[in-house]
Amino acid sequence: MQASRARLFKEYKEVQREKVADPDIQLACDDTNIFKWTALIKGPSETPYEGGVFQLAFAVPEQYPLQPPQVRFLTKIFHPNVHFKTGEICLDILKNAWSPAWTLQSVCRAIIALMAHPEPDSPLNCDSGNLLRSGDIRGFHSMARMYTRLAAMPKKG
Amino acid sequence: MDSEDEFDMHDANGDDDDDNDDDFYSGGDDDAAAAMDSDEADVADYEFIDNDSDDSDDIASHRYQQNYTVLTEADIHQRQEEDIMRISTVLSISEVAASVLLRHYNWSVSKVHDEWFADEEKVRKVVGLLEKPAFASPNVRELICGICFEAYPLDRMYTAACGHPFCSTCWTGYISTAINDGPGCLMLRCPDPSCTAAVGQDMISRLASAEDKQKYSRYFIRSYVEDNRKTKWCPAPGCEYAVDFIVGSGSYDVTCRCSYSFCWNCTEEAHRPVDCGTVAKWILKNSAESENMNWILANSKPCPKCKRPIEKNQGCMHITCTPPCKFEFCWLCLGAWSDHGERTGGFYACNRYETAKQEGVYDEAEKRREMAKNSLERYTHYYERWATNQSSRQKALADLQQMQTVALEKLSDIQCQPESQLKFITEAWLQIVECRRVLKWTYAYGYYLPEHEQAKRVFFEYLQGEAESGLERLHQCAEKELQVYLNAEGPSKDFNEFRTKLAGLTSVTRNYFENLVRALENGLSDVDSHGATCSRAASSKSLGGTSSKGRGGRGKATTSRSSSSSRNIDDSGHWSCEHCTFANVKTATVCQMCHQRR
Ligand SMILES: [Zn+2]
Ligand SMILES: [Zn+2]
Ligand SMILES: [Zn+2]
Ligand SMILES: [Zn+2]
Ligand SMILES: [Zn+2]
Ligand SMILES: [Zn+2]
Ligand SMILES: [Zn+2]
Repeated sequence: MQASRARLFKEYKEVQREKVADPDIQLACDDTNIFKWTALIKGPSETPYEGGVFQLAFAVPEQYPLQPPQVRFLTKIFHPNVHFKTGEICLDILKNAWSPAWTLQSVCRAIIALMAHPEPDSPLNCDSGNLLRSGDIRGFHSMARMYTRLAAMPKKG
Repeated sequence: MDSEDEFDMHDANGDDDDDNDDDFYSGGDDDAAAAMDSDEADVADYEFIDNDSDDSDDIASHRYQQNYTVLTEADIHQRQEEDIMRISTVLSISEVAASVLLRHYNWSVSKVHDEWFADEEKVRKVVGLLEKPAFASPNVRELICGICFEAYPLDRMYTAACGHPFCSTCWTGYISTAINDGPGCLMLRCPDPSCTAAVGQDMISRLASAEDKQKYSRYFIRSYVEDNRKTKWCPAPGCEYAVDFIVGSGSYDVTCRCSYSFCWNCTEEAHRPVDCGTVAKWILKNSAESENMNWILANSKPCPKCKRPIEKNQGCMHITCTPPCKFEFCWLCLGAWSDHGERTGGFYACNRYETAKQEGVYDEAEKRREMAKNSLERYTHYYERWATNQSSRQKALADLQQMQTVALEKLSDIQCQPESQLKFITEAWLQIVECRRVLKWTYAYGYYLPEHEQAKRVFFEYLQGEAESGLERLHQCAEKELQVYLNAEGPSKDFNEFRTKLAGLTSVTRNYFENLVRALENGLSDVDSHGATCSRAASSKSLGGTSSKGRGGRGKATTSRSSSSSRNIDDSGHWSCEHCTFANVKTATVCQMCHQRR
């Protein structure tokens, strides 16, 4: 508990210090609980998520960083490895490939990479996975684009 | 429910068995030394090899090439150490590195050799054995730990071969998490996500807690058995032995030092002559039907005559109702015992499943008719016989134990016979135990034997029936007739006759079962060559040739079956019964064993 708190505090200070180091990621710690974090990440360019801003929620376990944090999308996203209803993410580094040398920041980077390179073979969103697997790239793009516009872009006007 | 899935297992009765011709059931047909009055124990053919130390060495050396070794934990440890040493020496690497390599290649020494000498650099990369550090520590007094991000003096930092520094607290936590996650800890890598450097046993011993170290070595030794293609744990509950098997060397049946016999391939209990696929299907079927089968397993049935409930507490199927009824009947089919066996002049009446059973014979007729509706009846027939033989075998095992610990000594005193001369009783019981096992599995075989293969079915049921009736006679003799001598006040005049009878029945039953096993292992192919016959003459002939190779030392009553003129009479004037192969004395006109006329 003490070790995880100390480590999270280090990450917190690092985030404060390097706020502009990675313009695509904005990590913030909950005001009252250092084990709860949120992040805003920018949809990577040349993907249907471009132009969208997606919110992530982190729940950090007491064994952190020996155990990975739990992360999910708060913003609706149409992606084969993200559960459409719960926002749960299927990503190996959040499970068995976790390393205690990862940080919340590097988890965000890994999620951005996942948005650009979906893994249709381990889908949490079957509709989306099936579109990609059947080679219907256009179908996938238009769905993902539509949800990005609906959920991840600031309303105009 | 009835799964016809294909099972991805080796076929226990595959063609590669041919080279293993010397074991129990594969007696050569050319050797006609089938003897009845064995004076040399044949015990070592069976499961209790260890009990019979006086001649087991002998047997192991010249007629029983064992294709497996039972390993204790100490043996496993020693073999593991030896393999590690071997790799360490040949590859000139540390023992820790050798362990990492061996674990990666599932403890196959030859695979490690091949891969290493084909492309050492590639192997090092895959396995994580770095030759030089990937990370050079800057020349400073303090370093930042890559996990807790605290700065520590150099002497509190530890690194794997790669050089990535972490503090001892973080290492301990990292290692502990991995160990408590399971056997994957044996392939642990550096915590740095971009680094593949292996974290070996040296790091574990330096940095893990005592409790974790102990868990780690459990996984380490278990891995040598579980990840090794040639080794498996004995599946008996509580048994800690492993069995090392020479793959491709024949029959998969092995017997652990704890006396449990199992199939090395599928780890179910030993099921020769039935193949693994059939066994797996059958077990799946049983679990699917288990609820329906519960009522069948009830240990009491009504007497077919007086309807009083009878409990079966003996191993043999011949039940006698309590006085005054005293009706003798068969536990399996509830038919009169007098209708059973050779006296009916045909099949042993009980093994054969007939679709059109007469109505009203059974007390459970109502229930059964209902079951027939959902096609359970056929299955029930086979299941009941399978399960009954199973419990009969358990009972026989217990009886054998009791015999060896108590009864033989008592019998020796009463009958004034040295215990060494009572070996025939142990032999009889060993035969019963083994036969019950085989018989049990033939019912699974029978269930899956296609209905349309009529000729094979008839042949199979004939062989099974003969074997079963032989076994029932033997079991009854060993169980009930023996009691008379055990309860006697003093020596009985006819004890020697009893000896002859029981030894004879043992030998006859062995013959029947050898036939049965061989026929099933050949896929009943004899049916084709014999022109789909099951006539008594044809099969008695094949029964005649069931002697076994190298089982010498009791050739007195041999029957020479090669020449047809003297087929039934041997040198000493005995004649061999056409029906059961028993060697009768010259003067007898009726077989002493099965009461058939000569
Ligand atoms: Zn540390
Ligand atoms: Zn490293
Ligand atoms: Zn065992
Ligand atoms: Zn098997
Ligand atoms: Zn009765
Ligand atoms: Zn019967
Ligand atoms: Zn006979």
